[in-house]
Amino acid sequence: MKTVSLFIPCLVDLFLPRIGEATYRLLARLGVRCIYHSEQTCCGQPAVNAGFTKEARLAARHFIDVFGDDEAIVSPAGSCVCAVKTHYPELLENEPFWRERAEALAPRIYELSQYLVDVLGVSDCGAFYDGKVAYHESCHILRGLGVSAQPKELLSRVRGAKLVPLQGAETCCGFGGEFANRYPEISTAMVKEKCENYLASGADLLLLNEPGCLLNIGGYLSRHVPDRKVMHLAEFLAAAGREER
Amino acid sequence: MDVRTQEFAAAANRELKNERSRNFLGRLAPYFARSCAGAMKTFPDPAAAVACGRAIRADAVARLPDLLEQFAKNALACGAKIIWAKTAAQANEFILALAKEKGVRYVAKGKSMVTEEMGLNEYLKTNGIDAFETDLGEFIIQLLRRPPFHIVGPAINLPVEEIRDLFLAHGVIDEPTTDRIALGGAARRYLRDKFRRLDMAVTGVNMAAADTGAIFNVENEGNIRLCKSSPAIQVSVMSLEKVVPTMNDALHLLRLLCRHCTGQKLSSYVSIDCGPKKPGDADGPEELYILILDNGRSEIYRDVKAREALRCIRCGACLSVCPVYGKIGGYPYGWVYSGPMGQVLNPLLLGREQTRDLYFATTLCGACRDVCPAGVDHPRLFLHYREQQASSVRAQGLFFKAWGRLVKSGGRWHFAVRLLRPLINRFAANGVIRKMPGLMNGWFASRNLPALAHKTFHKQWKKQERQRDAGRR
Repeated sequence: MKTVSLFIPCLVDLFLPRIGEATYRLLARLGVRCIYHSEQTCCGQPAVNAGFTKEARLAARHFIDVFGDDEAIVSPAGSCVCAVKTHYPELLENEPFWRERAEALAPRIYELSQYLVDVLGVSDCGAFYDGKVAYHESCHILRGLGVSAQPKELLSRVRGAKLVPLQGAETCCGFGGEFANRYPEISTAMVKEKCENYLASGADLLLLNEPGCLLNIGGYLSRHVPDRKVMHLAEFLAAAGREER
Repeated sequence: MDVRTQEFAAAANRELKNERSRNFLGRLAPYFARSCAGAMKTFPDPAAAVACGRAIRADAVARLPDLLEQFAKNALACGAKIIWAKTAAQANEFILALAKEKGVRYVAKGKSMVTEEMGLNEYLKTNGIDAFETDLGEFIIQLLRRPPFHIVGPAINLPVEEIRDLFLAHGVIDEPTTDRIALGGAARRYLRDKFRRLDMAVTGVNMAAADTGAIFNVENEGNIRLCKSSPAIQVSVMSLEKVVPTMNDALHLLRLLCRHCTGQKLSSYVSIDCGPKKPGDADGPEELYILILDNGRSEIYRDVKAREALRCIRCGACLSVCPVYGKIGGYPYGWVYSGPMGQVLNPLLLGREQTRDLYFATTLCGACRDVCPAGVDHPRLFLHYREQQASSVRAQGLFFKAWGRLVKSGGRWHFAVRLLRPLINRFAANGVIRKMPGLMNGWFASRNLPALAHKTFHKQWKKQERQRDAGRR
């Protein structure tokens, strides 16, 4: 039996714990044992993005201490995985002890869909959904991790679900962490376009695998088009499976 | 050129309301993606071609001082005169002094971002010498006194009626017309006259080959070729990072440049010259000055992370794919270089202080980094600039100091989360927060936020763990 260590990032833990639960349920259903280190905190991405590298290093060292020996770490948030993979070795470049551990850790951390398809070799999660879905390619998952085929592979095997093309699927939704709050007009123009493309796609559900994008797109829909939903892939695959039984 | 980088947010909001710009920008990204991809397919292995271009630029930047020396030596041997200018002011003064010494009445200009960086046109005009931009787009924005909207198409956003009125006001046309061909023809006739008995022309340089001392220019209008063949004196201004090791390197980069710039395999005109006119040559300048501009770049070079910005070959692909540029266009960036290219270059050339917005107004989406044929990692540079400026924001500094104390302990972190929840959730109704007075106004301007979960994942896991443990006992 495979064992993975769950990395549940702040946004999921605080706002969207159901995504964490769904990740756990989905992995359990696929025969994966999950462990969870309750010492885990934030990966440090907000500090890196704000330019506070000294503080980001504290987060990085803590993360490495907590997860350092795990065989596989899985997270339902691509940008946090990206931070660990790409920022840690650079943040700790002048501390050989930590840098080596960061470099050793990098290949062992996975975004959820990446783990399911590339490591577990699963594409059929046993899920069922009657309707059309579209997939939003989050920047850090698509360009940061190079993950795009995996989530689409998982979706293509959901019985009854039809994956429809989304115009501008690869275009940023305008979240960008602090960007959304600091440049509200630009960010709004971006998320508005994303939502318009979703509505025009004919899909009745928009799927993604990044909590930042989910808060942004979901927050805009909640305000302007409350009957249309956006959902995390983990929830979709976990819940849809339950429905069939 | 005036620096208006500090007006970024206001200018962006103005441009967001500009229907015409929005319409044009909405079509730009898909058009660019199609034409660039189409042109790239003509390489037998497009990915390898990009990797090769990136490697050339990495190598060139790493060996910049040596390559410049080698270039200067070889260009000198070809008969060019090499001028090193430490600052934009020195470069302008040199060109003015040369023009005065030679009794030049006016100067013809080829499209060149570096002379805009220097503010050459304004400087010459103030000192009694007119400079005529001879590229159509540049000519229009020179008359309008506006920065370029896009580095490749500086006036591409303008309605034809605006160009008609502008040309009427400046005597380029006598009768009003909105016929695009007639307007282009009128500008051509107006400018063509400037090439007759031309004393002096100033152009930029797209690439300089160290192994031969040759300089390269690409263009689609033929005006740069006229600038380089018809005057008595030619001044080619290059920022010092334009040098590459060999002719082959330069030619490969030109192929990438054109594909990423206009989606062409090669531009309509490519000029390669080594030195001035030689005995028996049909045309060419009697004197060729190659002015190598530093303008802060040696200083940038000392910062090993920042120097990677010098890889940029000014193709403009990053503008065309940027989702932020795609909403606001080129004006808000407030200077010569716009889009991700400007967000990377302007803070280095103008200082981080007055350009803060440029390296914060990005979602770090990485589209620019992915498309860049020179291998510039824009997001990495933005983070580098932010790091260098972090100490200047006190409130944020205090926040992250506290955050840093929490983040290194799971116990403290989750305790703080427990304290935070009721503070935030008092703004929630039915599980949704629509507003938090004084907090995150930007976010709430157009978006809701879910209330913080009653039980975090952490808390639920702990509870289930206790139950499981109890079950086992």
